[in-house]
Amino acid sequence: MSVEIELSSIFGRFTDNKLTFQVEGRTVGECLKELFKQYPKLEKLLLNKEGRLQHAYDVYVNGESAYPKEMTKKVKDGDKLNLVFIIYGG
Amino acid sequence: MLTERELQRYDRQIMLYGFGEEGQEKLKRARVFIAGAGGLGSPISIYLAAAGIGTIRIADHDKVELSNLNRQVLHWEENIGDCKADSAVEKLGKFNPNIKIEAIAETITDASVSKLVGDSDLIVDAMDNLPTRYLLNKTAIDKKIPFFHGAVYGFEGRAMTVIPGKSACLNCVYHGAAAPSEKFPVIGVTPAVIGCIQAAEVIKYITGLGELLTDRLLNFDALKMKFNEFRVKRDPDCEHCGKL
Repeated sequence: MSVEIELSSIFGRFTDNKLTFQVEGRTVGECLKELFKQYPKLEKLLLNKEGRLQHAYDVYVNGESAYPKEMTKKVKDGDKLNLVFIIYGG
Repeated sequence: MLTERELQRYDRQIMLYGFGEEGQEKLKRARVFIAGAGGLGSPISIYLAAAGIGTIRIADHDKVELSNLNRQVLHWEENIGDCKADSAVEKLGKFNPNIKIEAIAETITDASVSKLVGDSDLIVDAMDNLPTRYLLNKTAIDKKIPFFHGAVYGFEGRAMTVIPGKSACLNCVYHGAAAPSEKFPVIGVTPAVIGCIQAAEVIKYITGLGELLTDRLLNFDALKMKFNEFRVKRDPDCEHCGKL
C-alpha cells in the first residue's frame, strides 16, 4: 500500500526539512516505521517506550483522527497521513 | 439603535449582504471575553473593536516585555513594564471610543474563571498554555456559550469553534493531552492570521452569517503557506461535554 505522509513544519528539523513522503504500509504504524528507518530521531520524539504515539502528537488519516489506536489503524493505497503536534502557544 | 456616527463608521460592513443595521446592532449588544492580550489577543481584540463589538472584556495577568513586541502589536516600546490588560484597554479605547472595554489583570484560575467570564456571550481563546485552554473550554461548556479556540507555534497555527452540545470541544480533540508549558518560538504573522480567523468566527457567530469552523480543526502552516482541515467529532465520553 503506497501512502503519503505529510508532516507539520516543526518536524522539519528531524527530516532535513523534507515534509512529504511516500511510504509503504498496511497500518499507520507500519507507515511510520518506514519513515523512522530514514529518520530515527523522529521515532524517539514521537513514540513512548511501549511504541505508542506520544499524547502530544496526532495522526489524521485522510483528514480524520486515527485516535485512540493510531498505530494499528489500517490504511489503504492512496491514503494520506498528516502528522501534527498539539499547538499550545498564543 | 445605531447612532449617526456608528452608521458612518460601520458603513462598509453594514453594506454586506445579510449583515445590515441589524447585524451591526447585534455586534453592539454583544459581550465578548478575550482570554489573553498577547500574540493572539492583539489581533482578536483589534478586529473585534474595529467591528464594533459593544463590550470587550480582556484578561491578562502579564506585564509587557521587550521580547513580546515581535507579535503583540497592541503593546509598544513605551508600554514595557505595564500591565498588558491596561495597555490593551488604552489602545483599544483610543481606536474605538464608542465601545466598552474592560481590563482584567488577573490570572485565570479554576476558582476565578467563572466570575471573570461573568455574563459574557462567548469566550475567545488567546492563551499561551494548554491547561488554561482546557479550563476555558470547560467553562464555556458549563455556561453553554461558544468557545473560539486558537493556538500558535512557530509558523503554524490552529483554530476551531466550539458550540457546546452541538460540536466537538477542545477536549474531544485532544483528550486531555498535555503539552510542555515552555517558552515557544513564534513569528508575529502566525498569531495575526489565526487571531483574525478567530475574530471572523466571532463576528459570524454573533451576526448569524456563514458556516462556523465547527467539527473542523483548521491548521495553518505558513512555511508551506497551506491550510489543512481535519474533521473532528464529538466524543460521547468526553469529560467536558459528553453529558450535554
